[in-house]
Amino acid sequence: MSASSTAWGIVVRDLIRSTRQRSRLLSGVARPFVWVFLVGAGFNSIARLEAGISYQAYAYPGGVVMAALFGGMLTAISTVYDREFGMLRLMLASPSGVGAVLCGRTLSAAIIGGAQGAIVLACAPLAVHLSAEQYAAAGAVLVLTALTSATLGLLVAARLTSVENFGGVINVVLFPLLFVSGALYPTRGMPALLRGLARVNPVTYMVDLMRHAFGQTAEFPLAIDIAALTGSAVLAFGLTALLFDPEQRFVGRKRAGEGG
Amino acid sequence: MSRAEGDAAEANPPLAVYAEGLGRDYGATRALAALDLQVPAGALVGLLGPNGAGKTTAMLLLATLLAPSRGRARVFGHDVGRERNAVRRRLGLVFQEPSVDGLLTVEENLRFAARLAGLGGEAGRRAVEQAMEHTGLTARARQPARQLSGGLRRLADIARATLHRPDLLILDEPTVGLDPEHRDRMWSLLDRERRDRGATILFSTHYLSEAESADRVVMLAQGSVVADAPPAQLQAALGDQVAELDGDGADALVARLKFEGVAVFAHRADRGWRVGLRGSRELPADLAAAPGIARLTVRPPTLEDVYFARTQPDAGR
Repeated sequence: MSASSTAWGIVVRDLIRSTRQRSRLLSGVARPFVWVFLVGAGFNSIARLEAGISYQAYAYPGGVVMAALFGGMLTAISTVYDREFGMLRLMLASPSGVGAVLCGRTLSAAIIGGAQGAIVLACAPLAVHLSAEQYAAAGAVLVLTALTSATLGLLVAARLTSVENFGGVINVVLFPLLFVSGALYPTRGMPALLRGLARVNPVTYMVDLMRHAFGQTAEFPLAIDIAALTGSAVLAFGLTALLFDPEQRFVGRKRAGEGG
Repeated sequence: MSRAEGDAAEANPPLAVYAEGLGRDYGATRALAALDLQVPAGALVGLLGPNGAGKTTAMLLLATLLAPSRGRARVFGHDVGRERNAVRRRLGLVFQEPSVDGLLTVEENLRFAARLAGLGGEAGRRAVEQAMEHTGLTARARQPARQLSGGLRRLADIARATLHRPDLLILDEPTVGLDPEHRDRMWSLLDRERRDRGATILFSTHYLSEAESADRVVMLAQGSVVADAPPAQLQAALGDQVAELDGDGADALVARLKFEGVAVFAHRADRGWRVGLRGSRELPADLAAAPGIARLTVRPPTLEDVYFARTQPDAGR
């Protein structure tokens, strides 16, 4: 009861916070549209896609994943803010322990990422026609994508000590994950090293699974995508639980000579 | 005290806090050497000491937010290392900086705290309403916390820490930065927690006057306990009077008082000497007549004198 209450408390708080940070929410939703429709307009004139579909239609599944990935990961990474500004210690002082805190944080980040992805998915008719079944399948993929993104974000946050690193994380972690995933262009034409990196990149499987749902040509069988994502989520959560140091904030401050 | 004796001491009467040789290192830095502490249920205990003395570390250890490097501690019989969750159920914590989320309203912050404490649904709602009522925050319930003054944020912090009716409140400098009005309001709230519910309070402060009403004062210096007694007892141990004196002849006079065995302690601060005096009531006149004394004040000992006498290495007790 106490653990679920703690996790639920964290979810409610994060959802309230995210609704009050409208510009962040809007920019999270706008990002995929900027890519698909603005950058995509240019790509459309130079890209030759095998299936004979427009670049916008090709990139749309990646756009949905992009929204969920950024929304989920950035919300999870915002744990660093809570550590920096003292809210995390409140959570860690709850009788439910670290596990409930991590579960709550994962769930809230997944809901926020999933909601952003859902908005982009709902706008799919702007670029591609989807049947009701395809929408339902894409919705299910979105749930798995958002959950995996949340656990990846939490893993990044596990050892991040300062909000100063936050911007760097977007450039060093999020964009590379997205660019080496097949979300925006096929990985087939990439150099061998990047193709290899794409194979171990969980985002590759998010995008591939979304292509299955959209009825587009996918690179891997459905079962491989699902297994890769489930495995990534479990692995990331497990590593987070191992790496997450509840004392980090206090020890960091003490070494810096603060407090009594 | 041996472990067996310690266990016996813990058993009866039940102690809110029992610590034996509790210590913590941060790498090569020894933040808290060995804290021995026994706090009976319902007591008000002040933890005093200079910055870096180990007060916050001691509180974080007792709050189970840090693991001890050595020693052991129990809160209401629960081991802080092995039974963290059981300890946390009995605790209310206030940290040095207010822990309220500026984006949430006062009520939302408290609902969040209630859920963290395992109070959901109607029980949580009732606890939040009562906490706001007790702290006078009901009118601010819908106000975003970022719009509150520092004093009101602190009250929200107290409301947060007490809404689940904890048996032990650990407060790390709860009144820092507050004006006298808000400090008074905060202490009145804490008094009520003790009076109405029998809550035990362990607090740290740099406002020494706040600790004068404590049942006991524990002073730390450089990670070790240097005093542990009721404030009146500590003050009485400094002698009958304390002289504050300065001037060209002050050093010689203090040396004379020490030689004659009249000075219980002597501490040289930037503003002059503070000397604890024992003995005759004629002493002040004797001091005033000494050559080269530009400033002389004689008064009863205060907790601030105890602080200087016990925590400063040159105090010469």
